[in-house]
Amino acid sequence: MKAMRKDFRMAVHGACLAVCFVMAVPMAVAQSTGKRAHSLGEVVVTAKRPMKEIGVQKTTFDSLALKENVALSMADVLTFNSSVFVKSYGRATLSTVAFRGTSPSHTQVTWNGMRINNPMLGMTDFSTIPSYFIDQASLLHGTSSVNESGGGLGGLVKLGTLPDVPEGINAQYVQGVGSFKTFDEFARFTYGSDHWQLSTRAVYSSSPNEYKYVNRDKKENIYDSDHNIIGQYHPTERNRSGSFKDLHVLQEVYYNTLAGDRFGLNAWYIDSNRELPLLTTDYGNERDFENRQREHTFRGVLSWDHTRSNWRTGLKGGYIHTWMAYDYRKEVAEGNWATMTRSRSNANTVYGQLEGEYNPSRKWFFTANVSAHQHFVRSEDKNIILQDGDKAIVGYDKGRIELSGSVSAKWQPVDRLGLSVILREDMYGTKWAPLIPAFFIDGLVSRTGNIMLRASVSRNYRFPTLNDLYFLPGGNPDLKNEHGFSYDAGMSFETGEKDVYSISGSATWFDSYIDDWIIWLPTTKGFFSPRNVKKVHAYGVELKGGVTIQPIKEWYLDLNGSYSWTPSVNDGEKMSPADQSVGKQLPYVPKHSASLTGRLSWRTWSFLYKWVYYSERFTMSSNDYTLTGHLPKYFMSNISLEKGLNFKPMDIQLKLAVNNLFNEEYLSVLSRPMPGINFEFFIGITPRFGKARKDVPEEIF
Amino acid sequence: MKWDYGDEVEDFNATGAGLFICNEGNFQYSNGTLSYYDPATDQVQNEVFFRANGYRLGDVVQSMTIHNGLGWVVSNNSHVIFAIDLTTFKEVGRIKDLTSPRYIHFISDDKAYVTQLWDNRIFIVNPSTYEVTGHIRVPDMTMESGSTEQMVQYGKYVFCNCWSYQNRIIKIDTETDQVVGQLKVGIQPASLVLDRNNKMWTVTDGGYEGSPYGYEAPSLYKIDAETFTIERQFKFRLGDLPSELQLNGTRDTIYWINNDIWRMDVTASRLPVRPFLEYRDTKYYGLTVNPVNSEVYVADAIDYQQQGMIYRYSSVGELIDEFYVGVMPGAFCWK
Repeated sequence: MKAMRKDFRMAVHGACLAVCFVMAVPMAVAQSTGKRAHSLGEVVVTAKRPMKEIGVQKTTFDSLALKENVALSMADVLTFNSSVFVKSYGRATLSTVAFRGTSPSHTQVTWNGMRINNPMLGMTDFSTIPSYFIDQASLLHGTSSVNESGGGLGGLVKLGTLPDVPEGINAQYVQGVGSFKTFDEFARFTYGSDHWQLSTRAVYSSSPNEYKYVNRDKKENIYDSDHNIIGQYHPTERNRSGSFKDLHVLQEVYYNTLAGDRFGLNAWYIDSNRELPLLTTDYGNERDFENRQREHTFRGVLSWDHTRSNWRTGLKGGYIHTWMAYDYRKEVAEGNWATMTRSRSNANTVYGQLEGEYNPSRKWFFTANVSAHQHFVRSEDKNIILQDGDKAIVGYDKGRIELSGSVSAKWQPVDRLGLSVILREDMYGTKWAPLIPAFFIDGLVSRTGNIMLRASVSRNYRFPTLNDLYFLPGGNPDLKNEHGFSYDAGMSFETGEKDVYSISGSATWFDSYIDDWIIWLPTTKGFFSPRNVKKVHAYGVELKGGVTIQPIKEWYLDLNGSYSWTPSVNDGEKMSPADQSVGKQLPYVPKHSASLTGRLSWRTWSFLYKWVYYSERFTMSSNDYTLTGHLPKYFMSNISLEKGLNFKPMDIQLKLAVNNLFNEEYLSVLSRPMPGINFEFFIGITPRFGKARKDVPEEIF
Repeated sequence: MKWDYGDEVEDFNATGAGLFICNEGNFQYSNGTLSYYDPATDQVQNEVFFRANGYRLGDVVQSMTIHNGLGWVVSNNSHVIFAIDLTTFKEVGRIKDLTSPRYIHFISDDKAYVTQLWDNRIFIVNPSTYEVTGHIRVPDMTMESGSTEQMVQYGKYVFCNCWSYQNRIIKIDTETDQVVGQLKVGIQPASLVLDRNNKMWTVTDGGYEGSPYGYEAPSLYKIDAETFTIERQFKFRLGDLPSELQLNGTRDTIYWINNDIWRMDVTASRLPVRPFLEYRDTKYYGLTVNPVNSEVYVADAIDYQQQGMIYRYSSVGELIDEFYVGVMPGAFCWK
């Protein structure tokens, strides 16, 4: 692993590597295949839809979105292609995802079936998930998450890899060179046969990330000789202390017996080294301070799927190891760095899951699932000197088993109507949650336009995280579960004409009540401690739409948009007579958000426009419009232009991406300015190893 | 995005006596602010630093001290101390290159001490040039567990309570800038005042359950400044949360928060049995006493994420006024 990491770091220092790679590729005969795969097939009437998805509110991402460019994380993909709220501190910094006005810890995340939420924090940092490592991604909104897991009070993000690789040996290489000395490298090697599918992927991204911005939060003084201030101005500063070096390696091996059994191995290693940028109001000299976070994570899943004509069973085992280090140091004298904070955490998770599906007839479908996640966490937060002069570490060392089991029955009495019931039971540590029931119904009301109606209701619980319970100082072992009811209902349609157009859309109303919401509040002793305080009512509407048109031969236009209206209101009791937060929108939850992507393709050319909008976000629970109290709305536009070139030994793709097209000054989080207009150029190479390729190459940006 | 704050500044003219309120703001939000209240007119002005200067005061506004006609506002996580004009609230200078400043204490017009969190040194600064001129190293303290807090002066000695994972008061000779003595008290002394009889008072918070440093019942200590010895210890119950020790103007009565608001004569021999102001089902976060008329001001942080409320009481405990200020009002400074 070390050798591989070294190779990639060396690659960063030589942009010419791509050229060298081109020269080294053996000449091969191949037919030109650089065109993108487009098809406007007939719209299939969905009366015989997958029974597993009866009543489910789901957003699925296609490979065009996931493989748009190698520099993107899943946080970027979700920002521009869905209605969830992505709170980001900038590239390679914490990016969290929240559904329907809930918090990031209410979003469950699975990777190849294994839950990957951090057991200490409950949330997932989507900036550490390169979209190039994800072959299939979907969102299960609200109640629909109960199909996969408990605890997703907002919803669930389901991520996975696929064994679909072309036959024989294949390779891809992509290099991106961007503004702020940013380099992104991606390589993939695959081997495919009838029985075996092997894939090795690696991404390495690095940047000093020192973009310039006008610091509106600060002024520099101009002094006269007597130290009187005679002028002031907002300084143009660089994003200080924001560098990153992230390496990801993903190894997959699949074996298919072709007799109904498939075995899989997925192993993902992350080596991340990131500085944490200074606040805009920080007057410290960045050379005097080091504020750095490092992470080593390994995630591995072994799977076996056994499929027969009317039943299927699957067995999974997995392991996650995460080592995280946070260091805050100051140079107190030349070359003498003193540690102010040295935090270390080790989290190990062992995972197992058994699932089964049985389809006795066209009308009935049954599933059963039981999973276990055993966490072992050691957190060391501070080194102190004790009263007797000895040294000690402030932290905790705890383990917790988390069991979850579910059974479901799905019934389709007639083609047009589907009903589903799920019963789920969760156990964390020694505590059992009450039974989690969920009911789903859908129906095809018109074959013309494939108009479907869906509705669901569920109860759900989320257990406190290990930090909530045990963190020192502040952990509160007396916390109760967060719990609530969710309801949603909606309609969808889909219509079109083969090779001319397709159009689809959906509208969903949702309504959720969450009690005993856990938030960390300051104490009079100078630290934070979690408490069950809020009762939240989150409700709203989600709209999605998509159009694909082929106006002229070889021209394709795809448009996809989403919009969410998500009031998320503090519905609890006043914390004091002066409390002004009751009935107000929760901090950092936008009431309105929207996204739009448009792609225009002609032969080997493709133009992409992405747009996202977030309404204002309050930073105070009272929703005050003070000078320091809220974040204005913002619009963001990104574009890219792509060209495919076909040569005998290889296909080459060229791409120029422009982010923040209109050079907006904007903030996603208070005191964290985002970069202005910036560019990245990508070159992608798909060599042909000695045989004609029958398949259309995968999108590789 | 329309940038909704910028260069427009206001011209204030706050003559007369008044009260500054340091609103810490939320950690990492850079929404710390300064409010100004005029007790004569019952008028409050919020975000006065921003409005007067056109930029933010910083992250975690910890404290403010007045010296020589200037206000010195310590912005802890912004690593800066701003000096402001007390009438216009405009900046006149700033001290940078600090680790994590907490409080400033003036020895003279040319020398002041600045205590720090996460540093085992007290910084020596020159207020007239706004420069760091030296350090006072605190013995038996590492950077990581470093914590020096509030300061009082008796003669040529400055005394300072060491708080986070500490249990002592240190004594500094202002002529040599050296720590010349230390006195062990209970776990985590959180504030320090000096009464009219030259007795220092400190209250400990007792640590927290599970702390490797220890967890005990908090105590109030009366310390003789001349002999630097403990004269009396007043014990609270385990789990009590005493904090924010304050004095009235004549320095003969101490006040503190322990859910309720309490007060006690500095000559008392035992803790009072009834509070001065009863708990109002909220979180009292800050406390001050008007040095002129002994009116009591209590800060309510509510949920710590909205504008806090200040309650103003007469010296006999009658509510006179209440007004909203900024997020997490934690410290006061009388002009």
